[in-house]
Amino acid sequence: MHDTIQKEMTLNEKLNILSDAAKYDVSCSSSGVDRKGDGTGMGNCSKAGICHSFSADGRCISLLKILFTNECIYDCKYCINRSSNDVRRASFTPDEICTLTMEFYRRNYIEGLFLSSGILKSPNYTMELIYAALYRLRHVCNFQGYIHVKAIPGADPALIRMTGYLADRMSVNVELPTAEGLKLLAPHKSRKNILTPMRLVQNQMTENKQEIALYRNAPRFVPAGQSTQMIIGATPESDYQILNVAEALYKKFDLKRVFYSAFVPVNKDRALPAPIDNKPPLLREHRLYQADWLLRYYHFEAHELLDEKNPNFNVLLDPKCCWALKHLDIFPVEVNRADHRVLLRVPGIGYKSAGRIVKARKLGNLSFEDLRKMGVVLKRALYFITCSGKTMYPIRIDEDYITRNLLNTKERLPEGADGMTFHQLSLVDDVNFSGVNRL
Amino acid sequence: MREIYICTDTITGLCSALHDAWLENRNREAGIGLRGRIQQQLFCQYKTVVETAEKTRRLQRMLKRYLGYNAYWDIYYALLSDDQEKGTEVFRVMQEARNIPDSRKIMDHLGNSDVAKVFAMSRSVSNEAHMYEEFIRFRELKNGILFSEITPKSQVLSCIGDHFADRFPLENWVIYDKTHEVFLIHRKQERWGLVWGETLDPDAVSEVSEGETDYAALWKEFFEAVSIKERENPKCQQNHLPLRFRGNMTEFSPRL
Repeated sequence: MHDTIQKEMTLNEKLNILSDAAKYDVSCSSSGVDRKGDGTGMGNCSKAGICHSFSADGRCISLLKILFTNECIYDCKYCINRSSNDVRRASFTPDEICTLTMEFYRRNYIEGLFLSSGILKSPNYTMELIYAALYRLRHVCNFQGYIHVKAIPGADPALIRMTGYLADRMSVNVELPTAEGLKLLAPHKSRKNILTPMRLVQNQMTENKQEIALYRNAPRFVPAGQSTQMIIGATPESDYQILNVAEALYKKFDLKRVFYSAFVPVNKDRALPAPIDNKPPLLREHRLYQADWLLRYYHFEAHELLDEKNPNFNVLLDPKCCWALKHLDIFPVEVNRADHRVLLRVPGIGYKSAGRIVKARKLGNLSFEDLRKMGVVLKRALYFITCSGKTMYPIRIDEDYITRNLLNTKERLPEGADGMTFHQLSLVDDVNFSGVNRL
Repeated sequence: MREIYICTDTITGLCSALHDAWLENRNREAGIGLRGRIQQQLFCQYKTVVETAEKTRRLQRMLKRYLGYNAYWDIYYALLSDDQEKGTEVFRVMQEARNIPDSRKIMDHLGNSDVAKVFAMSRSVSNEAHMYEEFIRFRELKNGILFSEITPKSQVLSCIGDHFADRFPLENWVIYDKTHEVFLIHRKQERWGLVWGETLDPDAVSEVSEGETDYAALWKEFFEAVSIKERENPKCQQNHLPLRFRGNMTEFSPRL
């Protein structure tokens, strides 16, 4: 009976089921590797990655994001495909995956393939299927575009290694920030099981770097590095804990990215938090991403942004502004002289504009007008900088004063993330920050 | 009297005009106007430029030698922009480059308003070109050619040629710029080229191959399935993917 259902299913239906099942994976980036086509097949990769479309939820569509199968033997409580759920099940064949990828790629719909999978029969069996699909895509179809693949925890290291030579990026999801959370919600997974393949990929990448230094044409192992993702708001961790986990992953596992996924309640289970207004904690996710960028590009450390006493992000101000307000003693800084690292810490000055300032000030003194043209957000920066010793307006370096003014500038938040999109703030309002699901 | 050089809105035209302006007026003020988009002013002398490939080559060689490759590309991109002052701005940047100690650093000199303007134009053209690398959708015609139409503001075709030629070396493909009526044509395993002055045969490009409708439908299916309902956010979508691009995109076209 089961088999006949499988046979009748069209490619159209399968794609529908298996892309719908894969959509909760956040990562869709195609970045991290620069590869020219060699002229014999199809495809190339660009370092910054290319988004090809944006879906109705505003997330980028860069890769053909599909599950190999959603016939999963595991019963993770937050997952739509848990084995105890009654959903339609489907599996692709390696051939179907290749055709879809090649034909979509030819029409410039996508930048490559993102292949994840439920656990069909056993981790090894699933990993073998994934390997077969990738091998076909790389060596039979001669596809040179981007491939992001999941390493299945518990699969044979040899299989993971072989797959890594075919893929550009590999990822293992840590799923939840702490081991306790994992035990509670994903009884078949364990922290150790997840970290083992991660360490394996990391070690193999280091080894591969040495090989490449020796032999320029040695095959590349996971050239775009590895990433991971965790679910935010399904378990009671604080932002401080989450940020510390992310920092540790960056430092100890050399991860390229940690993705945060606001918990969307798709199942009803006693162990899961009750949904508040049925809204995922989008603002919290947004703040975590902001902090994540501060860690990766702005030389911040987790303990500078949050600590035991203030374990959660401010709802009203972004992490960089919060940090600056607590360190008013170093401000205002002189734009024409300040160190690059100090410029990076000024709210309103980003990574690119800091670089531009450092270059441009060698050729002449900069004024506020020049900064504006370079892309500095003056409405935030003006409280923290001077140009040739003068501030833009007469201002007081006083925490309350600056906080009040910064709150007036209206940060641009993702629509709906503040949880009060259609409200106007007033004194008598019961301000409802339902976007932030704190427990 | 201020001299204004009139040229066509092409790289050859603008480079020839810059060449002449530099030859005759490098120490004075001069302007460069685009034919058909000029507004007559008093106290100006208008000159029509003879456009040649030789002048273009000479000017480009000079820019590369004295301003460096990076500045050359910034200027090249700025000259493709939609702004009608682009020629004059670039001319002023070339003049300004002589006032700083190392002329190769000219594009870092963002404190100068002309440099900032050229920088902004270059950035906006390269941003738009990048958008088209993302949002171009090909459809397969009966004869196997991949075809795409776009309506860009600036003349992005020469910025995206290399990208697609590297990506699809074994395909025959055509991109048609409806705004400027130019074709970008790539033959299998050959270099790409631009073609002006041809007209598009609407019947020939509407006959698609057999699999095309199916794959377009599959893509639409995927596009809709991948969005998370609880997170829907049309404004964010529109920030990343402005409406003006959607007219030529498969996933936003009505179902066939």
